[in-house]
Amino acid sequence: MQRDLGSLPLAPALRARLVGAGFSTAQELLEVGPCELSKEIGISKEEALETLQVIRQECDSNAVRTGGDPTALRKCTALELLEQEQAQGFVITFCSALDDMLGGGVQLTKITEICGAPGVGKTQLCMQLAVDVQIPECFGGLAGEAVYIDTEGSFMVERVVDIATACVQHCQLIAEAQQEEDHHKALETFSLEGILSHMYYFRCHDYTELLAQIYLLPDFLSEHSKVRLVAVDGIAFPFRHDFEDLSLRTRLLNGLAQQLISIANDHKLAVILTNQMTTRIGQSQSTLVPALGESWGHAATIRLILHWDNNQRLATLYKSPSQKESTVPYCVTPHGFRDVQPPPPSQTPEGSEMNPRKRPRIEEDKQ
Amino acid sequence: MASKKLRRAGLAQELCERLSRHQINTCHDFLCVSFLELMKVTGQSYQNVQKLLCKVSRACAPKMQTAYDLKMKRAVNPFSAFLSTTLDSLDKALHGGVACGSLTEVTGPPGCGKTQFCIMMCVLATLPTSLGGLDGAVIYIDTESAFSAERLVQIAEHRLPNYFVTEEKLVSMTRSIHLYRELTCESVLKRIESLEEEIISKRVKLVIIDSVASVVRKEFDTKLQGNLTERSNFLAREASLLKYLAEEFSIPVSFLFVCLFVFPPPIFESLTYGRGASGSTGPAPLSWGQCRWGPEQDDRSVGSSWQGLFGPRPAPPVSLLVQPSPAPWTPASLRPALGPPVLALGHWSQDIGTLVPRW
Repeated sequence: MQRDLGSLPLAPALRARLVGAGFSTAQELLEVGPCELSKEIGISKEEALETLQVIRQECDSNAVRTGGDPTALRKCTALELLEQEQAQGFVITFCSALDDMLGGGVQLTKITEICGAPGVGKTQLCMQLAVDVQIPECFGGLAGEAVYIDTEGSFMVERVVDIATACVQHCQLIAEAQQEEDHHKALETFSLEGILSHMYYFRCHDYTELLAQIYLLPDFLSEHSKVRLVAVDGIAFPFRHDFEDLSLRTRLLNGLAQQLISIANDHKLAVILTNQMTTRIGQSQSTLVPALGESWGHAATIRLILHWDNNQRLATLYKSPSQKESTVPYCVTPHGFRDVQPPPPSQTPEGSEMNPRKRPRIEEDKQ
Repeated sequence: MASKKLRRAGLAQELCERLSRHQINTCHDFLCVSFLELMKVTGQSYQNVQKLLCKVSRACAPKMQTAYDLKMKRAVNPFSAFLSTTLDSLDKALHGGVACGSLTEVTGPPGCGKTQFCIMMCVLATLPTSLGGLDGAVIYIDTESAFSAERLVQIAEHRLPNYFVTEEKLVSMTRSIHLYRELTCESVLKRIESLEEEIISKRVKLVIIDSVASVVRKEFDTKLQGNLTERSNFLAREASLLKYLAEEFSIPVSFLFVCLFVFPPPIFESLTYGRGASGSTGPAPLSWGQCRWGPEQDDRSVGSSWQGLFGPRPAPPVSLLVQPSPAPWTPASLRPALGPPVLALGHWSQDIGTLVPRW
């Protein structure tokens, strides 16, 4: 209990008074009663009591922290982490090439940033993931819920209906093919209405609202403990105009990133951010780079860049701690994110082994 | 809600005064200050500042809606989610028409019919809901003096000869289209800022700006450093204002949707990919070389004969290209093998919902 007063979360003025009266450690303070303290440093009895309570609480939680259990999240061995990571699963994208590139899908407890030019499919991917995170466990999903924070107003509920309907249909096909008890049970609750009502939508009109929303998110997530995905579409729009003070922007953005990282860890969920692209003018050639500057590049753990090559949509894994850099094609169909079909359509739709990550290819794509 | 005064957020009077001495007056100011600074300014403990932050955040955070709620809101009046363009293939590509509550951008080289499209949409928006219209007024912000009332009447008569049979109907249609000629950036912005009240008082369901680009291009010389940032600030401000208006009024009673028309976009140059440029009709390439991100994401082209649509006017068949919007999808087979024309205004389209370039 030899904790220094400076490390306690007390108001600055109060701390100065305590030091002035000769207190230096928490232990010394705990030995005095509230009345004595109020006389000693000239504050009201209520304030003194409050101060003591703060200190006691602080010391208690400290004791618990060294005891170790509830905060194991923040401190663990690599072995424990490995076990956790293996147990926790992924949010699949329905595009198996993209999933493989990401090591199985979008990782929980990590921040994934999706960058790309307008219209390449960033919002589509967000909506797709917000649906996919809700796939029941017996189909290889997470049976979670999704929070969707929209700063651009590009969330289209009609489109989510399309994607969700396709997803439900897909699960029904699996259930029919495999005839397992728990599949049918899971399908009873896994419906379009279910998916839509477990997608929590927030529309933030400017960065103040975004900051406030992110600040309140931990409370919301405690109430809705099944949320496994937080999608912020997009992080760049509110920060890219009317911002004269660039250092303020950097500070706010880094603060946001910090908060999102701790949310992702504490609640074991995946965070998806979308970012716009900007032109960096070089000496001879200009290149297209993700917006918000170099320092923002450190915020996300995984960075995925979506771009075009002629008429083909490509996804490039640009930054990842565990997977190697690569580029895969994908396409956006009426049903959402899907693999690019190989040119000869000589596949057998009724494969004996149905991979839940792959949609059976039926004529539906050619409507 | 960012400019909400702290006092209205439920903070004590004394605390507000203390904060205002440090120029912290609104929720926005409060949330932009770092935690440590807040402790210093308010003189409160860590826990208390946390509580304060929570309180302020709650005052300005948006309300949660589930996607289901959103869908139900739309379902109450399914016709109001989209304004049909009356072109079947285009409607299909756009998921039912031009989306209400969001921005749609139409671009194309000169003379391909952007303004014609706008004028047609004006007519359609004034139609009663039974005919697929929005039964409301239209605000048309014209920065190029391209709007022709004569043409409006012509289109109306030829498109809907059965409806516009009497003079009276034509008069009421033309009366509900409010035209504003704004020739400078400042006046355009001012007009957009004042739209909120007009939309309420005039029961406006459609706002058209034709075009965003022309005034901006006239006034900002991109060669000067700093002008570019100012220009993108101006455009982003416009976009966010319009988005706010579109959303605000698309929920549930009145429906407004905003069409943005970016005028001459055609810089027909082959881009980094070295593909042949298709059009040669565009004017000389503009000094916008640094924005070569070439949106080849041409999602879908819809061929349609515009002759039948816009009345008797000799026009070549024009094909229409729907670029990525959050709603429609991309059938790769329908994508034309066209050269990549570069849209004007650089990354502006990132701030917009739907994009409809045409040529």
